[in-house]
Amino acid sequence: MIVTITINGKKESLQIEPGDMLVDTLRNAGHVEVKKGCDTGNCGVCTVLLDGKPIRSCSFLAVRAEGHEITTIQGVAEEARRFADFLNREGADQCGFCAPGFALTVIAMKRELKNPTEEEIRHYLAGNLCRCTGYESQHRAIRNYLEADHA
Amino acid sequence: MNHAAHHRKSMESATSDGSAAPASTKAAAMAAGSGVVPESVPNVTGATQYIDDIPLPAGCLQAAVRLSDSARGRILALHTEAALALDPSVRIITAKDIPGTNQIGTNKADEPLLPEEEWEYWGQPLVLVVAATRSLARRAASLITIASEELPAVLDPREAAAKGDLIFPPRTIAYGNVEDAFARCDYVVEGRVDSGGQEHVYLETQGAIAEVIDGRRVRVISSTQGPTGVQRAVATVLGLPMNMVEVEARRLGGAFGGKEDQAANWASLAALAAWITGRPVELYLNRKEDMRATGKRHPYSSDFRIGADRNGMILAFEATYYQNSGCTCDLSPAILGRTVLHATGAYKVPNVRVTGLMCRTNLPSFTAFRGFGAPQAFFVIESAIDALAQRMGVDPVEIKRRNLYREGDETYYGMKLERVRASEAVERLLDKAHYLQARQRVNDFNATHRLEKKGLAMIPVAFGISFTKLMMNQGGALVHVYSDGSVLVSTGAIEMGQQVARKVALVAARTLGVPIEKVHVQRTTTLTVANTVPTAASTGSDLNGQAARIACTEIRSRLLAKAAEMLDASPEELDIANGMIYRRGQPTSLRWESLIEAAHQARIDLSAHGFFATPFLQYDMKAERGKPFAYHVYGAALVEATIDLLRHTYRLDRVTIVHDIGDSIDVSVDRGQVEGALAQGLGWALLEDLRFDGKGKPLSDTLSTYKVPDNEFMPGEIDIEFLPPVENPTTPYNSKAVGEPPLQYGIAGYFAVLDAVRAARGTGIEYYNLPLIPEKVSQLLAGKEG
Repeated sequence: MIVTITINGKKESLQIEPGDMLVDTLRNAGHVEVKKGCDTGNCGVCTVLLDGKPIRSCSFLAVRAEGHEITTIQGVAEEARRFADFLNREGADQCGFCAPGFALTVIAMKRELKNPTEEEIRHYLAGNLCRCTGYESQHRAIRNYLEADHA
Repeated sequence: MNHAAHHRKSMESATSDGSAAPASTKAAAMAAGSGVVPESVPNVTGATQYIDDIPLPAGCLQAAVRLSDSARGRILALHTEAALALDPSVRIITAKDIPGTNQIGTNKADEPLLPEEEWEYWGQPLVLVVAATRSLARRAASLITIASEELPAVLDPREAAAKGDLIFPPRTIAYGNVEDAFARCDYVVEGRVDSGGQEHVYLETQGAIAEVIDGRRVRVISSTQGPTGVQRAVATVLGLPMNMVEVEARRLGGAFGGKEDQAANWASLAALAAWITGRPVELYLNRKEDMRATGKRHPYSSDFRIGADRNGMILAFEATYYQNSGCTCDLSPAILGRTVLHATGAYKVPNVRVTGLMCRTNLPSFTAFRGFGAPQAFFVIESAIDALAQRMGVDPVEIKRRNLYREGDETYYGMKLERVRASEAVERLLDKAHYLQARQRVNDFNATHRLEKKGLAMIPVAFGISFTKLMMNQGGALVHVYSDGSVLVSTGAIEMGQQVARKVALVAARTLGVPIEKVHVQRTTTLTVANTVPTAASTGSDLNGQAARIACTEIRSRLLAKAAEMLDASPEELDIANGMIYRRGQPTSLRWESLIEAAHQARIDLSAHGFFATPFLQYDMKAERGKPFAYHVYGAALVEATIDLLRHTYRLDRVTIVHDIGDSIDVSVDRGQVEGALAQGLGWALLEDLRFDGKGKPLSDTLSTYKVPDNEFMPGEIDIEFLPPVENPTTPYNSKAVGEPPLQYGIAGYFAVLDAVRAARGTGIEYYNLPLIPEKVSQLLAGKEG
């Protein structure tokens, strides 16, 4: 079957099987910036935005994306580049495998929450696992990133 | 998933191979207008290509493995008809198809790539399947039926030891006279300590892409920490000399030891399939396959006896470590070596006898994991001191302070310690954290709170740096300066998130005297640097940084000779720094780019190979005496925890760390390593519960059944201070290794929670069984220590 999904602002018609997960559909269509970590919706590596809200594309059937807008990290590449600089400065840029899903969640959080508290930030990002950093450097980077916008 | 994965488009912004050298905190900011993309950008935008992101060669097939579904059995017959009928592209490969030697064991020939008759653990790859797409290959693998005979399995290391099923004979280090010393002790305490395994959960699972070139050579891209090990395994399996096998490792999506020895299996399977089919083949495990089939941190079960005088001076320590090695040798001997060489932790003990046993069980072959046998040893000695403190009725911190290694102490394996910083770290930590007030505050809290109790614990660390296998302490580098003045560095160091590429780039830039943005550190291939050791044992930047420094020094001296000729000066008067040539401290008109151009015109070699072997190491395995480590890394951590007596849950309130990074090459990188290691250590000590059922079936084989730290688990406050720089002659610019030592700090998390449980129960508990998950806390609160 064919689904039509708007991916990063561009309408794409993709051949899928009914049981296909969105992450595989996206990756097979060349969007390998969407990484795949666990297949069970636990790690957040495969995060994409569905109509602006973060979802785990490994646990989301591709058919359900029909007619919706999907944003991968490449869809917010400028913002991602800006955030990368903050990660780099805090030693938060480690293996990089979780980075696209994590950065997309941070960007979505920034759009959704005004002046989030430390607790709100931790809760918003609790679903994005990182095995390298222990999260501390990520938090420093997020705070600097959010503050830079207020300055 | 019906699309062949070779439809992947190459990404428009994929400009980096994943090992660029970005601007650094210590280096100058990037020059304006520079076209070099900082490394974090491709990582964050998803442009970095990990194994499953690399555009595949035309005609690439996908492989899958059929895993065993019992802990031990014998294959009687394979029925492959249904699998073959699924699709014409399906091809089934077994041990019989291996053209070379069916053996990938590195320390012992006990590990066939595919079993010929018997399998040894639940999740072992039995049959290799190739098909046009990954989903077809997986489905075909699941359609194979195996007629088999069940065989009895052993899961417990003590049971294996009792049966004499050891991988190698026991290893004992004896020092002083333990029996005499115990007889003189005022306190002697015995106990048992257990520590669980730990799954690596590198977020990128294992995989490889292999292709046959010109029908006679093989090229493999592997997610591995050890390309040379992969090269050797592939060559063995295919019956080729190593010069016909090329292995490349790009940036890994995490490894933590899990891709040191155990990446070779997947690379060899992919290469075997490519060799047999003549087509490129990718093999990429999904999470469940990876968690079932690959090794993890070794579970240990240990017995200890510790003795002290009435002042708390430890006089004797004895331990027996039953290492659950799993079903094959793998790296178990080296890991056990690190255990028996860290038996007394950060403490001087005058009489020691420790024995380690590698117990063969029908579980996955346990393997390298950050810390490599040392965390298990630290947990035993810290448990022993904790038990001793309980019996003596004193604060364990007091016993620990008194027994720390001092300058000039000899370890129980005969190494004279220099530049010891154990007390410096501990005293600075206790001072910084206002320990006495903190203890009083915790006691006051516990006296006034009925539903919550707090605990506090401190651990000091002295962690030996060097591979315990002497020959592995070597590194190689190849440095090219191109005619435009840009520099390309290749080393054996695999970039897997520890930012070793950045460190090597900083070392090269500093040695050559150029800005960091002139230097690019290239991915590792066996074509550029041969006979590499795996990037492991925290030695990546020490060994490879030194090799790069040696190569750069060679090129620099050629350039200084040329510059001297151009400036009519002597080379001794000249210096290169920041891309400028200086004469007696004054800048000259000569710049790096012009010097390189002139040197090239003058036919001067602008390339060099550097080789480094760590000096002064020696160890007599028979006597168990020597200097196995180039140096030690010191530090200490204090952890405060609170348990909730209604819910039996706990939280980590605060961690304070004082840690030794020497004269760091990049402080922000080192801070990131300390924080990341702490998280993994806390995960191992408190959270990560690796389970098998009574038949050896893995129960924690997905991220929904195996919990790793998320950001809400982490302590609310983490305060890390670095000790001032100190001389450290065998490393680049007096830096120190950083990857593994801070992992031990997680052990203080265990004892902080245990301390809170004791406050709740009001009685001493000697319970040393890690991880201390909430379920165990609940049982302890109910008075059940089982």
